[in-house]
Amino acid sequence: MGFSIIWYLREFLRAEWLRNFFFAKTAPLVDPPYFRGYPALTGKECTHCLSCMMICPTPGAIEVLRDGETWTPHIYPGHCIRCGLCVEACPEDVLDAGRVLETQKRDRTDISVRYQVTVNPDTCVRCGNCVVACPVNKEADPQLGAGGTSANDEVIMKIHRGNLWVVHDEKCTGCKTCESVCPTTAIRIARVAEGRQEVGK
Amino acid sequence: MTDMLQKLKNAVRSRSIHVAYVDTGSCNGCDIEVLACLSPRYDLEQYGIYVHNNPREADILLVIGCCTPQWEDKLKGIWEKIPEPKAAIAIGNCPVSGCVFNREGSYVNPPASKHIPIAASVPGCPPRPTEIIRAVLSLAPTIFADYEEKRQ
Repeated sequence: MGFSIIWYLREFLRAEWLRNFFFAKTAPLVDPPYFRGYPALTGKECTHCLSCMMICPTPGAIEVLRDGETWTPHIYPGHCIRCGLCVEACPEDVLDAGRVLETQKRDRTDISVRYQVTVNPDTCVRCGNCVVACPVNKEADPQLGAGGTSANDEVIMKIHRGNLWVVHDEKCTGCKTCESVCPTTAIRIARVAEGRQEVGK
Repeated sequence: MTDMLQKLKNAVRSRSIHVAYVDTGSCNGCDIEVLACLSPRYDLEQYGIYVHNNPREADILLVIGCCTPQWEDKLKGIWEKIPEPKAAIAIGNCPVSGCVFNREGSYVNPPASKHIPIAASVPGCPPRPTEIIRAVLSLAPTIFADYEEKRQ
């Protein structure tokens, strides 16, 4: 026992050991330059299009809040997974994270969003509620029939010969008013986000 | 004399931090980042942080994952097994908010602070190894400093 205590004292009271233990020099902790941090504001003006909130894969990570006269996106750490999709989706470059914007400019990529209108013909009762409720239809054809009939071909969908036809689903803005008024939940709006790249040039 | 002893304890405790980690139902992303801290690039042990998988010899518990119901009592048990002074750090978004798993109908029970006291949290999905090391290094000296004096 005594021997081991002497051994320990000799081992741990060496000047070299004490110096190494108490004055250890460690490499500084640096994040690599390709590290994608939390999205930060670039100072450009937000137009409140909410593209960032719609593309965000995580619940409660980004919120566009009113800040006096302007709108500002707020990122919540603890929810945000730093995927950088909001940076890519923003058409105004309001946010930036790491090299995302730089890479996007260099590769000329962007994310285009469209809405797909799907009607289940088995459950659809052809009531025409969706046609009447749609705010885009109201703009396109003010003389829309109460049963959803229309003489106009510019509407998104219409009742024609007792059937519901989706004519122009590229005009859909994704408000989902039709989903809320459908009595049988036959109509569904799906948001399709596609990454695109300009080729050539 | 006690003052000197306390100072020595402070110095040693800030340079020898033993860490245990527990995965309470994560996707393994944060576990991989904790393991990446051990790799030569970050080399955790040069900062005096040692990783064990044993709560009995740990000072700091790294809680990873969104606390599934099966882990509720076991997480508490692991926390009670750690000798004082101790602290828990939540690693990643899951123990903070549940992140992508915290959806309607999912079988998780975040945040981890419901079950054990969490001293700090490192958000990120997953957080970088540098952020984890920074959190441990900045937390440990403040939590463990003058522990015996504070307890009196």
